[in-house]
Amino acid sequence: MTKLKETIKPFAEIKGGLMPALHAIQEMEGHISKDAISELAHAFNHSKAEVLDVLTYYDDFTLEPSGDHVIRVCGAEACQSRNSKELTDQLTNHFDLSLGETTSDSKITLKEVFCLGNCALGPSVMINETVIGEADKDKVLNFLNEID
Amino acid sequence: MNTPMKIYIPNETTSNSVGAIQVHRAISNLKGIEDVEIIRNGTWGAFWLEPFIEVERKGGRVGVCYKDVNLSQLKTLDDFLNDFESRNPFDIREIEFIKKQKRIVFSRIGMGDPLDITFYQNNGGYDSLRNALSLSKQDVIDKIKESGLTGRGGAAFPTGIKMQTVSDQNSSIKYLACNADEGDGGTFSDRLIMESDPFALIEGMTIAAYAVGASKGYIYLRSEYPLAKTYLARAIGIAIENNFLGTDIQSSDFNFEIELRIGAGSYVCGEETAMMESIEGRRGLVRSKPPLPAINGLFDKPTLINNVVTLATIPPLLNGSLSDFSDLGSGKSIGTMPFQLCGNIEQSGLVETGFDITIAEMIENFGKRTKSGLPIHAVQIGGPLGIYLSSRMMSTRLTIESLQDIKGSVGHGGIVVFDNTVDMSEQAKFAMEFCSKESCGKCTPCRIGSVRGVEIIDRLQKNRSSKEDSILLNELCKTMEATSLCAMGGMTPNPIYSIIDNFPNELVEK
Repeated sequence: MTKLKETIKPFAEIKGGLMPALHAIQEMEGHISKDAISELAHAFNHSKAEVLDVLTYYDDFTLEPSGDHVIRVCGAEACQSRNSKELTDQLTNHFDLSLGETTSDSKITLKEVFCLGNCALGPSVMINETVIGEADKDKVLNFLNEID
Repeated sequence: MNTPMKIYIPNETTSNSVGAIQVHRAISNLKGIEDVEIIRNGTWGAFWLEPFIEVERKGGRVGVCYKDVNLSQLKTLDDFLNDFESRNPFDIREIEFIKKQKRIVFSRIGMGDPLDITFYQNNGGYDSLRNALSLSKQDVIDKIKESGLTGRGGAAFPTGIKMQTVSDQNSSIKYLACNADEGDGGTFSDRLIMESDPFALIEGMTIAAYAVGASKGYIYLRSEYPLAKTYLARAIGIAIENNFLGTDIQSSDFNFEIELRIGAGSYVCGEETAMMESIEGRRGLVRSKPPLPAINGLFDKPTLINNVVTLATIPPLLNGSLSDFSDLGSGKSIGTMPFQLCGNIEQSGLVETGFDITIAEMIENFGKRTKSGLPIHAVQIGGPLGIYLSSRMMSTRLTIESLQDIKGSVGHGGIVVFDNTVDMSEQAKFAMEFCSKESCGKCTPCRIGSVRGVEIIDRLQKNRSSKEDSILLNELCKTMEATSLCAMGGMTPNPIYSIIDNFPNELVEK
């Protein structure tokens, strides 16, 4: 609890600090817990519903922890032109996941993203914070092996 | 003393995505590398050549593409240099792709370390801020007006007029908000500035803030750009250390600070009023205008909002390049535009050029051919809300006016090429799907209309000759267009109209 309080405190003192506070908690804990929502509500003088209202709007904030590795497959137009749909199908089949789901061993979360700004060398996949260009299934699996 | 040899290895998202990190690791481990200065430069924007590794010796600088090259058998610096020479290195500034561009805003990308403020200043950086601080605020605004610069984020509103409106407001607190939520599929020019020339953005913001009387600026950066975040955070720190941000900037009495804010995966937050909501700590719902942000914006104060490239275009206008810029083009399409040529294209990358170029010239001079080798079937211009043009329309000019004439827009300058394997009915459906996923939910036609749109197109894919569904789709599009507050719902119909008009029988039978 005190750790949450300490994390939130500097942001409660700046204008519009709720978003950076949510980012800090998401980064620290991997999700926004009920405790965190209570602490945020208290610090920002909001109701818990108001905090929930904000955080559920944004894809980056999650109420449940994501997998150890988050794979984001780009589904925007430039990657579509380089067969991102086939790549997405291969990855959903390989991990036996739908987009937005996490494997039962909590290792992998597979998500869709619209544009990583890597449109020149698509299709693109982002694993945690690393972008893979001209991606295929093997490149993705090799990268996962390397970081595990 | 001899100047040490320099090896340039880019540190930029796209270069890294195809191996620059691995090449850097291999080169750093070579025996004898201590005698070499390794510079992590930005990218030149010729992405099909990345990772492009350059060696500089005795004044000459040449490079080679090291994509998919296994460097593990190279043990010493000499091994590497022999390998490098065997690959016929060349000067990237001499290739047609670079030579045929007119790089004014992107003049420095690729040249050096993006965080080397000495390099920045040796190449024209901060001359403009010093010049601006010696001018009156109105003189600076007048120069921007004179340049003809329009917003490069998509709306193409005259930048100088927007600055004048903010400047004219009588308020002791004013803000500058840089929109770095570059969410359009097929665009990356903002990212290139932030990753490969971040001081250009900071300098542009500082000049704009001085001109309108803002003392605080925000950069609202999308979370999908982690490397840009690192570069900006460090560049802001270095600018503060060197008194280019903070109090009494460069011994003037002007104070300005920049705070970096990170988005959280919402496309609509690239719309300026939704962006303000998000910075203020709320859901990114669109606000109705008026009031204009320039009059009542962030935290209810007058706010100048511009995107990254627009702000980075300001310094060249104040350091003697104004006429180079404003002599190009006419009407609204004045100056250079950073087009981003991508998708299924052989030579993909950043093309800064005047607007007055046809799509055919863009392909012939820069992109060459599709990556797959198949014929071009469609080109989408201006992001997800932009129109699709067919291969018969390649003589269309990329000016703001000529695209407006056919119900399109240059937008943020994205050009996405598709070969003839594309299913245009899928692209039409994607326009609606994207809207349904990214709609902020405020306007019913956008929130629900987009879902109905996906359903109608699903039915049309099974029966393209359905008159009923074709009429329904058209009516739905007209409703979304007329009754949505922002461009998300209002312009989602544009790609769909263009597919109906330019690709007969591919979505609906005529």
